[in-house]
Amino acid sequence: MSSDTREKPDAKYRHDEDGGPDPEEHGGHGRGGMGEEVKRKEDRRFITGRGNYVDDVKKDGMLHCEVVRSPHAHAEVKNIKTERAEAMDGVVAVLTAEDLEAYDLATMPTLMDDTQEVLVKDKVKFQSQEVAAVIAEDRYLAKDGAEKVQVNYDSREPVVDAETAKREDAPVVREDIDQESNHIFTWETGDEAATREAFEAADVTVEEDMYYQRLHPAPIETCGCVADWDQDNEKMTVHMTSQAPHAHRTLFSMVSGIPEHKVRIVSPDVGGGFGNKVPIYPGYVIAAAASYVLEQPVKWVEERSENIQTTSFARDYDMTGRIAATEDGEITAVDVDVLANHGAYNAAAQPSKFPAGFFKIFTGSYDIDAAHGELEAYYTNTAPGGIAYRCSFRVTEAVYLIERMVKVLAQELDMDPAEVRRKNFIPEDAFPYESATGWTYDSGDYHRALDKALESTNYHDLREEQQRRIEKDDDKLLGIGLSTFTEIVGAGPGKQCDIAGVEMFDSAEIRLHPTGKATVRIGVQTQGQGHETTFAQIVAEELGLDVDDVQVEHGDTDTEPYGLGTYASRSTPVGGAATAVAARKVREKAKSIAANELEVAEEDVVWDRESGQFHVQGVPEQSLSIADIAGASYMNSPPDQEPGLEAVDYYDPPNMTFPFGAYVCVVEVDRETGEVDIRKFYALDDCGNRINPMVVEGQIHGGLAQGIGTAMMEHVSYDDNGNVTAGDFMNYLLPTAMEIPEMETDYTVTPSPHHPIGAKGVGESPTVGSPPAIVNAVVDAMEHAGVSHVDMPMTPDRVWGKLEEAGLAKDPAEDLELDIDGEEAAGD
Amino acid sequence: MKAAQFEHHEPTTVEEAVSLIESLDEPTILAGGQSLVPMMRFRLARPETVVDLNGIDELDYLQEADGYLKLGALARHADVEESSLIDRQYGSFADTAPLVADPQIRNRGTVVGSIAQSDPKGDWGTVLLAHEGEVVAHGPGGERTIPADEFFLLPYDNTLAEDELITEVRVPTSGDDEGSAYHKLKRKVGDYAMAGSAARVVLDGGRITDATVALTAVDITNVSVPDAADHLEGERPSGDLFKQAGELAAEHANPESDEHGSAEYKRNMVRVLTQRALADATERASNDGPAARYGTDQMAVGD
Ligand SMILES: Cc1cc2nc3c(=O)[nH]c(=O)nc-3n(C[C@H](O)[C@H](O)[C@H](O)COP(=O)(O)OP(=O)(O)OC[C@H]3O[C@@H](n4cnc5c(N)ncnc54)[C@H](O)[C@@H]3O)c2cc1C
Repeated sequence: MSSDTREKPDAKYRHDEDGGPDPEEHGGHGRGGMGEEVKRKEDRRFITGRGNYVDDVKKDGMLHCEVVRSPHAHAEVKNIKTERAEAMDGVVAVLTAEDLEAYDLATMPTLMDDTQEVLVKDKVKFQSQEVAAVIAEDRYLAKDGAEKVQVNYDSREPVVDAETAKREDAPVVREDIDQESNHIFTWETGDEAATREAFEAADVTVEEDMYYQRLHPAPIETCGCVADWDQDNEKMTVHMTSQAPHAHRTLFSMVSGIPEHKVRIVSPDVGGGFGNKVPIYPGYVIAAAASYVLEQPVKWVEERSENIQTTSFARDYDMTGRIAATEDGEITAVDVDVLANHGAYNAAAQPSKFPAGFFKIFTGSYDIDAAHGELEAYYTNTAPGGIAYRCSFRVTEAVYLIERMVKVLAQELDMDPAEVRRKNFIPEDAFPYESATGWTYDSGDYHRALDKALESTNYHDLREEQQRRIEKDDDKLLGIGLSTFTEIVGAGPGKQCDIAGVEMFDSAEIRLHPTGKATVRIGVQTQGQGHETTFAQIVAEELGLDVDDVQVEHGDTDTEPYGLGTYASRSTPVGGAATAVAARKVREKAKSIAANELEVAEEDVVWDRESGQFHVQGVPEQSLSIADIAGASYMNSPPDQEPGLEAVDYYDPPNMTFPFGAYVCVVEVDRETGEVDIRKFYALDDCGNRINPMVVEGQIHGGLAQGIGTAMMEHVSYDDNGNVTAGDFMNYLLPTAMEIPEMETDYTVTPSPHHPIGAKGVGESPTVGSPPAIVNAVVDAMEHAGVSHVDMPMTPDRVWGKLEEAGLAKDPAEDLELDIDGEEAAGD
Repeated sequence: MKAAQFEHHEPTTVEEAVSLIESLDEPTILAGGQSLVPMMRFRLARPETVVDLNGIDELDYLQEADGYLKLGALARHADVEESSLIDRQYGSFADTAPLVADPQIRNRGTVVGSIAQSDPKGDWGTVLLAHEGEVVAHGPGGERTIPADEFFLLPYDNTLAEDELITEVRVPTSGDDEGSAYHKLKRKVGDYAMAGSAARVVLDGGRITDATVALTAVDITNVSVPDAADHLEGERPSGDLFKQAGELAAEHANPESDEHGSAEYKRNMVRVLTQRALADATERASNDGPAARYGTDQMAVGD
């Protein structure tokens, strides 16, 4: 996977001459450098309610768009009558596919090269799909108008799940692209023969079916935009909820035919993305088309249910895992089959060249010689998507699979799951490690992480408590779940990942001003991750500046350098690398200016990271800060240097980074109701060098909450007719503060050897790593009675079903002790 | 979430409200708005006129009088939660209030509105049934009272006439030997019940002289379980007795499968929750045991 062969000119900046930052050792330079817990610059406006989200954008003459959606999952559109809506006061226009066809906008490409209708003309393929749009003077009138659009449907039998879609007699979802079945693709990885051999030779084999349910990223801010066509300047400005503004600009230009320099995408404050805001949705196109035609700004903002029911979902992988092992627990092979439901279009938000994304990381943290995986993907009459949700392109499914399977193996062998893990970990001295499915893991120290986790949680005491409760026939069973996952984040490399052909690099531009302050423009884009602070810290670290003197700008394609966006924990691995490299380029030029100012040869000037100054070799008193040099660059530029001090870098990473973690989850299972109480969640994360430990911790807290939601509550479910039965927050349950247990975060530091500042991504680690820890814990609580799996979400119903089956369920009255006054002697 | 247009009226007396309701064409009453407003925003309800009770100060009370615990139409869930009247003897009220929705909704939503909404998943109807309470209605013909067990008809439907409003719900005051409790199973804080069970017992000389069991979310309305009550009355409280009562309640329940749980699970939980509610109610009636001390499970947290 490594593209070390593609040494770009900026590769020389990856390793700084002074060895680069070492935040664990030095903890920054005291002015907001790396490793310092700088308070987030963006929080002031958020906490005081002054964030600026798309729905806050108001423009003169702005119209509002309401989308008319199909109540059916699978139906032919016979006709659409718009007259009654058009006749209403305040309704400005009603758009249908025919109107869009006139501008060649009736369809749009998906990120997987499929074609999706912007407005449906012939056949609706999932419930709530877009059929018409009403543009009106305010949002209530638009809604009133939408109610008056009459659409006649001829409903067809829907196919809702992949298992049914697979059948030969299943209704075909995609006649529009001449599909004769619902099959999209088959994907295979690894060595089938070697894996088969290992299974045949194995002492022990285990197998488990598990369904990683359909989830929704459910950002609190739904998707939306304000499109504004400026006829005088022939320019389209779109304020939109975008995780990838530049990629969206390119796609917008390609779809609309408006030249790219005449398209401006502004992504203001974004209220959570989690992958949901990577794709383009019909609503954006409709609003832009309406603005173009009407020459007025048009706002479209989804309602909650529209967001959950129609925009990019995550997971929906039906998996079977198998492990072959020796009798003392050494894993010799892993084999996986997957049935994937991609919905009505192949629209997964995944830019890798692999159809199943990074799923082939399913060998996890373990040194397994033989591996094989096979996947079949199907169209169904459900909303399109897949991938999204704080996940590096299916790593979440892969981690769930292997972390569950290791537990299944431990159970079969009657071994402690920690022991099985230890036995199979990739040893520390094996890095960089080539996995059986073709990845090159950059660095790791899994034993250290697990040892620390077990010690910190008093693992042995917990095991004793568990036994005690079993022996005492306690009402509540104790379960301890482990997850020792390896993540894969930081896409590119550009040759393996692209969006619409654009390679997945990322960028930064640093400009020093005469007074020594810096403006940094980045290609990645924050949706809450804290870039305005952490990217400023990278620059502060590399240039010795005070973090307050560094302003980070992002999210406006007119001013920022081209970037591929923020998702899949790629900002720090790629954009952060670009920022560090750009800073080092600035420092290189600064050095020659310093030599000029100090009147010594450039070789005699040295950079001191700690003080953030250049000084003459051996004469620390003769020093200059970057701020001094910035002034000199404008006011006293050397004869052989252009004035000014700035640099830009477009960074194509040589490899992904591989963060990892050791999680311990402790649960109590109520034998009367099946309710699961997560008593404690301990999360040790190793994301290499940490830029800002507080921000890292915040990312982990949020991700654990989402992992708990995944394990316990969330599921976008459908009935047999393709109706979304969990399309709002009364039925699609998100955890609140009340459902979140005590969380303890911890860390080890194993820097990435190829990253300029030794950092790895962290945002998605907790969402990826925690669900298997929680499921393992719940299974662990019931394991003594033979329970080996519970599917997510682990509703009380499901858990109680397992308790009942295993003979563990209990009635409260069984141990009831009442002490009633006036009670007569026993035996009465 | 964009409501259709409607007209808003805000009377300040019950009399004015009654005459408005009589004169307007199909008016809808607005109390806390915690059920009505979401329905309007989903356009599941689209009233042309809304009569808002929030300006009628005379309906804002929670008091013991004339042998009843009385809740006026503007008594909010939070008022019950905070009332000093609600203690050991109204244990089921104390249990229920903090389990209804979330704090924001409890600050606005009313107990009477919940009864009027007649959602089988609502909690207060069950409590009202368990206490054999009644609904006080006002219409053009004056005042009438409707016993709780004659009030609920279907989901979101009750015996209130089109031109009536509820001014009060009330339950007989609780004696010292009475105890009640409510147990509710939900998947997260703020949620409606997957299943709920309220129990009330009166003890005399170690025997149960009067009992009721009522259920939430397992039938087309909140329902009481007379079989369980009959089985309990005259008996000495015991684990076995409560187990049997729980089984009778489970048999009586008629739950449906949904997103949150299967019918089978809910039926089993009716058994479990009824046992728990009976155990707590008994502790309260005998003024002995943890349930008696705290009045509510929730209050015990952080104690
Ligand atoms: C997210 C959420 C969670 C919830 N969770 C729960 C829960 O766990 N348990 C639970 O029990 N409830 C729950 N509720 C409902 C909540 O308790 C409501 O407050 C209650 O059902 C209605 O009371 P209200 O005062 O808000 O009535 P409104 O919404 O104002 O009115 C509800 C209905 O009753 C009618 N009405 C109101 N007052 C009168 C009156 N005096 N006379 C005649 N008709 C009247 C109205 O016309 C309307 O039809 C929840 C609601 C939400 C939004």
